[in-house]
Amino acid sequence: MVRLLLGRLAGLVAVLVAISVMVFVIFNVIPGGDPALRLAGRHPTQQNIRQIRHDWGFDQPLYTQYFDMMNHLFIERDLISYQDQTPVLPAIRRGIPRTLSLAIGAALIWMIFGITIGVLSGLYQGRWLDRVLTVVALAGVSIPIFWLGAVLLYLLTYKYHSWPVFSWIPPGGYVPFTQDPAGWATHLFLPWITLAVVSIGFYARVVRNSLLDTRHQDYVRTAKAKGLSPSRVLVRHTLRTCLIPVVTLFGLDFGAVVGGTVILIEPIFGLEGVGQYAQESVAHLDLPPLMALTLYGAFFVVFFNMLADLTYLWLDPRSRTT
Amino acid sequence: MRRVTGFLALATATALLAAGCGSGTSASGSGDTGAPVNGGILRAGIPGNPDHLDPALSYTNEGWEILEATNNGLLTFKKASGGAGATVVPDIASAMPTVTDGGKTYIFHVRPGVMFSAPVSREVKPSDFKFSIERLFRVDSGGVGFYTGIVGADIYAKTRKGGISGIVANDKAMTITFHLTQPDGTFNDYIATPFAFALPKGTPDKDISTIPEWRVATGPYRITSYVPHQSITIRRNPTFKSWTPDTPDGHLDGIDVKIGVTPEQSVNEIADGQLDWYFESVPPDRLTQLKAQYPKQVYPFVRNNITYFFMNERKYPFNKLDVRKAVNYAIDRNALVKIYGGQGTPTENIIPPGLGTAYKKHNLYPYNLAKAKQLIQQAGVGGAAVTVWGHNTDPTPSAVQYLAGVLNQIGLKATVKTFDESVYWDTIATQKGDPQIGFTDWNQDYPEGQDFIDVALNGEHIVNVGNNDLTNTNIPAYNKRIDQAKRMPLGDARNAIWAKLDYLYMKNDAAWAPFMNRQWPKYVSPHLHGLVFNGNYFELFPSMYLTQ
Amino acid sequence: MIDAPPVAAGGFRTALRRLRRNPAAIVSAIVLLMIVFACFPGAPLWVSHACNHGPSDQNIQGTITENGHKVPVVRNDGTPIGPGLRACYLLGADSNGRDLFVRILYGGRISLEVGFISAIVCVTVALVLGILSAYAGGVTDSAISRLLDLIWSFPVYLLAVALATAFAVHGIAVGPIHVASTSLAIPIVVIAIVYVPYVARPIRGQVLSLRRMEFIEAAVASGAGPVKIMLAELLPNVASMALVFLTLIVATNILTEAALSFLGVGVPLLTPSWGNIIEQGYQTIVTAPWLTIAPGLAIMITVVSLNVLGDALRDALDPHARLRIRN
Repeated sequence: MVRLLLGRLAGLVAVLVAISVMVFVIFNVIPGGDPALRLAGRHPTQQNIRQIRHDWGFDQPLYTQYFDMMNHLFIERDLISYQDQTPVLPAIRRGIPRTLSLAIGAALIWMIFGITIGVLSGLYQGRWLDRVLTVVALAGVSIPIFWLGAVLLYLLTYKYHSWPVFSWIPPGGYVPFTQDPAGWATHLFLPWITLAVVSIGFYARVVRNSLLDTRHQDYVRTAKAKGLSPSRVLVRHTLRTCLIPVVTLFGLDFGAVVGGTVILIEPIFGLEGVGQYAQESVAHLDLPPLMALTLYGAFFVVFFNMLADLTYLWLDPRSRTT
Repeated sequence: MRRVTGFLALATATALLAAGCGSGTSASGSGDTGAPVNGGILRAGIPGNPDHLDPALSYTNEGWEILEATNNGLLTFKKASGGAGATVVPDIASAMPTVTDGGKTYIFHVRPGVMFSAPVSREVKPSDFKFSIERLFRVDSGGVGFYTGIVGADIYAKTRKGGISGIVANDKAMTITFHLTQPDGTFNDYIATPFAFALPKGTPDKDISTIPEWRVATGPYRITSYVPHQSITIRRNPTFKSWTPDTPDGHLDGIDVKIGVTPEQSVNEIADGQLDWYFESVPPDRLTQLKAQYPKQVYPFVRNNITYFFMNERKYPFNKLDVRKAVNYAIDRNALVKIYGGQGTPTENIIPPGLGTAYKKHNLYPYNLAKAKQLIQQAGVGGAAVTVWGHNTDPTPSAVQYLAGVLNQIGLKATVKTFDESVYWDTIATQKGDPQIGFTDWNQDYPEGQDFIDVALNGEHIVNVGNNDLTNTNIPAYNKRIDQAKRMPLGDARNAIWAKLDYLYMKNDAAWAPFMNRQWPKYVSPHLHGLVFNGNYFELFPSMYLTQ
Repeated sequence: MIDAPPVAAGGFRTALRRLRRNPAAIVSAIVLLMIVFACFPGAPLWVSHACNHGPSDQNIQGTITENGHKVPVVRNDGTPIGPGLRACYLLGADSNGRDLFVRILYGGRISLEVGFISAIVCVTVALVLGILSAYAGGVTDSAISRLLDLIWSFPVYLLAVALATAFAVHGIAVGPIHVASTSLAIPIVVIAIVYVPYVARPIRGQVLSLRRMEFIEAAVASGAGPVKIMLAELLPNVASMALVFLTLIVATNILTEAALSFLGVGVPLLTPSWGNIIEQGYQTIVTAPWLTIAPGLAIMITVVSLNVLGDALRDALDPHARLRIRN
């Protein structure tokens, strides 16, 4: 177990190193990406541009620049952006609570609704409820998420904003939980819904299929034969097992959301979290924050995948006994 | 200088300069009634971080709007809107400079008793100004171009040692003297930009935006906190005592700037009463409704802007004069203004109408598609492949697509390429990027024809990187006339040359297809009054006041 | 006992029979056919018969006559005309005075093409890598697996945007191959690369389990070379899996095209795609919401149909398979 864990951690580090090299190379072949020009402003003298190249080390060989950047990112921890020369790490630190507020809240919603609907769907297998839920599930994953966010924002905070049911929904932005818990929740309401809708249906499907699989397993039949009440069988035996694939998937998805999907959602709602920072940096071809954010995103993807694998080992009764 | 953000913040723009002073009209509309009231905190919003809060480095509207309220230079543009705002008046200097030596020497007397705020807390000295201008070179400021005409600046730019010999500061006599290599009619304008604002000696040679102890103020306000991507807090500067009516006390007790507000969100929040003022203009599509609903809260701000398509004379097929003329005939300027939500005036001039006698309207290219087609035929370039470049800040993509559509109609084969605005300007200013034709605009850095004709068309300035002569226009005879005009004192004689060159370039070269002088309408809360739009510093916080 | 290959040729026939009994699959297949018909032969037919406006024809200064009144296509404040029951501008115009309905028809071509071609490229590359990796084993396997891990760990949109931007100025130039920066090939390649690991990994897993089966061992024993085994024995046995993936990947790729265009690095402007119609329309969602809503609905209907079909296909081919792609 420990060896497995160490091996996975070493793999994580190797992947992150490779990604950092990739990002660095990609951004150094982009012609519009010459940061010296951007730093020079709109009335630069030629001398000025040369000087900036020198002062920022852009005239150094690429590998020196790479190690320099890694040094500022991990050791000195004082990396600054080319775009507005603000420190990168504090900006990411400020963004993390916002992004996690978004992702955790949405995850709670999609898990609760996904599991409830999935169980209902599985219990009523083949009936109209099940069929409707199947279509709804597939419809959910088929919506472009940014489009859903944009249309909801338009409908609820503009078009029908005067309706009392919607008038409490703010037109975007973020309020810290510590400052105003109610404001925090109202500001995050639409982003949560948007992010959750795309996943609820999918999780409902997974839970349903998994439930159907496990219902026919031996130990469930044994439990039934022992005379346990149906609801007890469902909760104690069937649910527990059928949630295993859900947990694995959740690990992957949560990593993917925090490390990627937020790029599409945060800018629409002006949440100014890590995703919006990433979207802005990539639009500005601003390498320092982009480097930090890609590594951050990749870390989440890989880390949660690892967590999911380990949880799987721990949860699955079959893999535990062997 | 511009920072426009698309609804979405998908397009946060870069810093382009255009400190337009002396713009045409300004703050009108509005229910400014009664005397200004003191007190209250302005709730302001901004889409992204301002580029810098360091006067040496900031080169955007956002930065200058804030720095105008916190820091001062020897001279200032009059804190007024419209043409009056184009006048340079004394600020920390006690009077306008004495100019001698045939326009090559400027002597300023520094007013005693102007204080730097805590923790520096001392009087501003002439040597602080010398220090501040030298610091520009040491921090790689984008504004150094304005000061390279000072004797010794060239050498200092390379060595960064021993100071600039052409700036002589005498702290005892409280004088500072600038020696120029040649007469320069717009030197006073350069001295009034934030680049030349006073910072105390000892300010570190790095961006002070996020170093609170070095964000030292001289003006009515100071920045008490700046948290990038979150907020900027501005409060009264307790050490400030107004020394001239041109640098008055502010009415507001402070300004709380929330960072990360999208333009659409700002409109909704202002309507909901959660926000008073926003750095950007109204999204073009919202304007009609806002004007109808809140006529007293919408202000039409105009500055000296020219919005145009540039054609690269070094690139086929635009190396042919007929093709460039054809483009000028083929675009319907009224249609383009519609794309901008009607927020502009069609024009064929290079120089905007706000520049007094330097503007002389001409109408060389009335909309004529048939003529354009015929010129393309005549040039023998039918079917030539053309890529139209533009940035992605709305509504530019529509304008670029309009042009591509028109080019296809007159017999070329056009596609479109767009970049994020923050990258776009650098890319087109590099010969390596080398677009054939594209969108651009220019907002004045200072209110003078030179900033348009010399900056964008004088072939002597063509460089490989950071090139402002996007068309690569280089007509030696015209270059010479530009250089002559630059040495002349400001005034009608000089303006007449700019007006003539405007006409000649459009008639004989036609590398520009100018189409519009753009406007930037603003929408503010009903409690906010005293809006003044200065062409150089933009909106003036010290003039604003809030009512209940 | 000899284990049979999971899905043989006969399996496809069974699968088809199963599909035909699934009403959802039939409905979605019909919807898809209708969409494809509307976009491909339908679009030029509409332009030549109903309304003579091409997808890029601008008409900013034009007017149309409605109820005897002249109505401008684009008002002076830039607001375009809205949807209405008429041949031209059925769904209204955009801010350049172009016909939104026609643009959605033509945009569908591009979105479907990008989605479909990139899916084929993606699945083909994934098949090659997956089969090769599992069959060859050893160093090849490690190298390919690590490469897949790498691409897979890279946040999808960051990777896609990074690649697309890198190609944006001068296009791709690899040896003699040169792709212009405004070419459609760029979003296609970018989207294909990003999803390769999602397909290659399960294929590799499948091939690994197939390798241990007796029919492969029999083929090896009979002296068949590795290329022949990979092509003749392994490929047909992962074909059903690849087919299911193809359907689902087309769906995912259509969504990705939209997302990339929305982030400004997808299909170049001027050529309409559903994604870039939304991107442009979104700028004026308050005054012209239909410019955002209509293309989004088109995407949704198409992708739902593809997903329902892919889901049914999977059930029909292999009820136990669990395949999925996160968008």
